[in-house]
Amino acid sequence: MTYNSLQFFPFFAIFLILYLLMPRVKLRQIVILIGNIVFYMLAAGKGTLFVLAATSLVVYAAARAIDHIYSGYEREKEGLTPKEGAALFAGYKKRAKKYLLAAFFLILGFLFYAKIGKLFGFKETDTAMGLFSGGTILVPLGLSYYTFSSVGYLLDLYWKKAKCERDYFRLIVCMTYFPHIVQGPIGRYDKLLKQFAALPGFCYERVCAGLIRMLWGFIKKMVIADRLALFTRAVFASPGEFAGFEIFLAVSLCAVELYADFSGCMDIVIGAAETMGITLDENFKRPFFSKSAAEFWRRWHITLGAWFKDYVYMPVAMSPRFMKTCVNFRKKHGNRAGQIFSSAIPLAIVWLLTGLWHGTGADYVVWGIYWGAVIILGTVLTPEFKKLTTKLAINTESFGYQFFQMARIYFLFVIGRMFTVTGSLEGFGKLVTGLFKEHRLWTIFDGSLYEHGLDYKNFCVAVIGIAAIWISDMLGEHINIREALSKQPLVLRWFVYYSGMVILLIFGMYGEAFDASNFVYGGF
Amino acid sequence: MRNKVKQVLADNYPEIDFEASNELVDDGILDSLTMVGIISALSMEFGVVLPYEDILPENFNSIDAMVELLEKYI
Repeated sequence: MTYNSLQFFPFFAIFLILYLLMPRVKLRQIVILIGNIVFYMLAAGKGTLFVLAATSLVVYAAARAIDHIYSGYEREKEGLTPKEGAALFAGYKKRAKKYLLAAFFLILGFLFYAKIGKLFGFKETDTAMGLFSGGTILVPLGLSYYTFSSVGYLLDLYWKKAKCERDYFRLIVCMTYFPHIVQGPIGRYDKLLKQFAALPGFCYERVCAGLIRMLWGFIKKMVIADRLALFTRAVFASPGEFAGFEIFLAVSLCAVELYADFSGCMDIVIGAAETMGITLDENFKRPFFSKSAAEFWRRWHITLGAWFKDYVYMPVAMSPRFMKTCVNFRKKHGNRAGQIFSSAIPLAIVWLLTGLWHGTGADYVVWGIYWGAVIILGTVLTPEFKKLTTKLAINTESFGYQFFQMARIYFLFVIGRMFTVTGSLEGFGKLVTGLFKEHRLWTIFDGSLYEHGLDYKNFCVAVIGIAAIWISDMLGEHINIREALSKQPLVLRWFVYYSGMVILLIFGMYGEAFDASNFVYGGF
Repeated sequence: MRNKVKQVLADNYPEIDFEASNELVDDGILDSLTMVGIISALSMEFGVVLPYEDILPENFNSIDAMVELLEKYI
């Protein structure tokens, strides 16, 4: 079962009714836990549920141990000066580190095992026996997501930036929460746990708002992304057979396809959580309106970027050893070079790891290096770009220049996608050579363009869908669309809602025998 | 101390007005890249190592907050 499969609709309807009927917080938590288990078993099978349960126990035990150690520090620090307190804390931190590292060994070790297994081509399995049979690896659903959230939670406790959850029941409800288990957003457990402790009761407006967001997510996924995928997958499955305009169109559309797919899923899950009164972190903020690569990654997959910033970039950049190196570098080469050095090295590490998080193949490593280089160069060369635009008397505030910046980001993203869409660097090579082999513009006019999974009518539907996303994003830059809609007359409001449902029913891609197409990021 | 911190900041980031706000991080004037640069410059000037648990937005929201943080370790 995926969020867009036919099974999900009755599951969610029954779950939501039961949840909203519960009169007390504890009962709501129980319903969520049952919902999480049922969802996970239907989505991934019961074989991997024990890995998730074991991970939750490891996280809980490590968190309690760290909390216990730090409670000693809290007692002892009374009456000390800040400087004495800092020195005392360093000793307690050393003790807490042992538990932190032990937990990391287990939970990150499992992620490493799964990633390495994939690299060596072992077959993925979802049964417990997969752990012990040769040639197979056990990959639980949502492994990358809950592992990252767990690591973040433990590090926040270790740095005393979060409070420990002492109720195991609440921790497991939060960890296994079905709207974010498959592909995020990568939640901050400390923020979520506070919400799980005070689950609100029924609120008509909130439930409606959540359902509307889910509807928009389903339209993005099933009407737009899955429709575009018919064409792009046909091209990327055998890139050697296509050329020129066909490849240009496929790579251009695959960026929108991924956006509609991933952000559509986020709309579904954030909307589902909203019906329960839980606010999940936003993962997208109209990324294609970004004007620089760094801004793009603050608007695309926001929670992953924030995770890497807080738990890799900053700790690396702030580590005493690295700081010392930076200081020496600065003394030797000056302030500007020092600034570049102190940000470029942690950025390079972050992007290499971001690539590996997405996949262990060479294509993803190159993808990570590519984005790292684009961001580092963009950051380093900012003063030079400023000088150049001033010299050329370019009005950087003009619509034309800003449009150029946005188009630049779009095509930088498209080039990045080209590394990975075919599944190998060999495929990337075929795409690049095919792109310049011949123009094949005639395929638009002789109709052969419409013979690769998407006929003319469906192309038209996809184009209208893309325009709808663009308009919604453009409006979203200035207003809260759902809020504005809720202020419209009842007839207009319900006309829009019913139109959305009709569009989904008529134009939704339900796949062969209603076997819904998986979400792209569910594979990570 | 305050003047020295102000001077270090002005030398390294002349384009930023550090007195413009008391919410430098929360207002988006300082991003993570700039914060890393600031911490590196302050560490060099004052010869201190700031532990990561103290790298919080509230400790970099103003010059006074940065001074207070440094005084904890000098």
